[in-house]
Amino acid sequence: MKIEIKNLKKSFNENLVLKNISLTIEKNKSTIILGQSGCGKSVLIKIIYQLFSFDSGFILYDGKSEVDIDKFSMLFQYGALFDSLKISENIAFTDFINNKTNYERKVLSLMNDVGLDKSIFNRFPSEISGGMKKRVALARALYKNPKLIFLDEPTTGLDPINSDKINELILKVIRKRKITAVTITHDIKSAIKTGDHYYFIDKGIIQDKGDCKKILKTKNKLFKSFITGASIK
Amino acid sequence: MKFIERIGEVLIKLFSNLGKFILFISFFFKYLFSPKFYFKNNLQYFLTIFISSIPIVALTGIFSGMVLALQSYTGFSRFSAESAIPNIVVLTLTRELGPVLTGLMISARVGSSIAAEIATMRVTEQIDALKTLNTNYYNYLVTPRVLSLTLALPIFVTLVDFIGVMGGYIVSVHRLGFNDNLYLLNTIDFLSLGDYLSGILKAFVFGFIISIVSCYCGLFSDKGAFGVGSATTNAVVISSILILSSNYFLTELFF
Repeated sequence: MKIEIKNLKKSFNENLVLKNISLTIEKNKSTIILGQSGCGKSVLIKIIYQLFSFDSGFILYDGKSEVDIDKFSMLFQYGALFDSLKISENIAFTDFINNKTNYERKVLSLMNDVGLDKSIFNRFPSEISGGMKKRVALARALYKNPKLIFLDEPTTGLDPINSDKINELILKVIRKRKITAVTITHDIKSAIKTGDHYYFIDKGIIQDKGDCKKILKTKNKLFKSFITGASIK
Repeated sequence: MKFIERIGEVLIKLFSNLGKFILFISFFFKYLFSPKFYFKNNLQYFLTIFISSIPIVALTGIFSGMVLALQSYTGFSRFSAESAIPNIVVLTLTRELGPVLTGLMISARVGSSIAAEIATMRVTEQIDALKTLNTNYYNYLVTPRVLSLTLALPIFVTLVDFIGVMGGYIVSVHRLGFNDNLYLLNTIDFLSLGDYLSGILKAFVFGFIISIVSCYCGLFSDKGAFGVGSATTNAVVISSILILSSNYFLTELFF
């Protein structure tokens, strides 16, 4: 699914978070959205997912303003797993809540795809590690066979080894299933590894964009300082 | 000028919250009759709050009845009207203390947990996750909690009434020297169905107030630990105030 966003604005009370955002998410490609904490990256993907409304501008999904959001899925920053449900019930949530019982095989297959051992099938989220939670959340996001997946800082809170494993996994899954992916991240290494195109947001506008493989060659001063962690003089 | 601006700000916030709350209640009724009704989820929640609240309900009943018998004796013995104690205990419990005390206790026990649970779900993006999983949070979170508590509170009040009368009986017979058969006969003869039903109607209203206020406070909480704390406090304080004030109007109705 291709998504075009033009002149998008969003404010909360008097705080203008997104001033003028225009970007394109290409079909079957991995788009990375980079930016400092609080720059409105999460707000942007929640607007695209129609979880938030926006003030002005427009969004076209394959050229249309309306979309069936059942085709979308999201991996939340901290997993957002339901604490009172077992891992299997979390993954197959939509079937579980509708009293369908024949989800076991599909769940096990997804657990295998994301590298989870079947021994945690009946465990609760509080009984597994942070890295496992991310994998469970990814399996849940994939359960409904989405055409587009939003990944909100998928490597947050993970050590470098687990971050790398999650990046590999995301890359494998989106390539294998031919899913369009939109990833929010601070992590340049992850962006280079998993992305095709990037957009850098600062102060509510797109400051830089380009090919992920050429991120380190950017000429944009703001983005350069974001990459190196140095303040602009 | 700043002072007037501040008052205006507070009033605008108050009325916008009131409007939001009324809309929230109307959405509850709208989704209550929608085809997505998760029966298993509703039943599971009802059983959870029912079983977990029984001990606190029983303790509220027994001590209220016992204290009521002792205090009534202190007053009535001054003009030799001790025989009215069974009547006062049963009437006060069924019409007044049963529903109000149970409402306040359940607001602290269940209302606070509803608000904290939903506020935590909001902070940890579980509410957003529900939306992305095509699940309406009114159907999944609000309806089971409101239905369960609205239906459970009358049962709790019936229990408090019964256990409270037994508490009064124990104190009156074993401490104050009442005749046991006479105490029970006086209690049963004096109690009318209308007395019991007026308390039960109050229980329905209080159950609805506690659950809907707690769900609202949880869903519209601020982010972070402070937000969860405020949601819990607000749920208990607002429910308690609404219970006490609506109790007056309901009492007027049955006066």
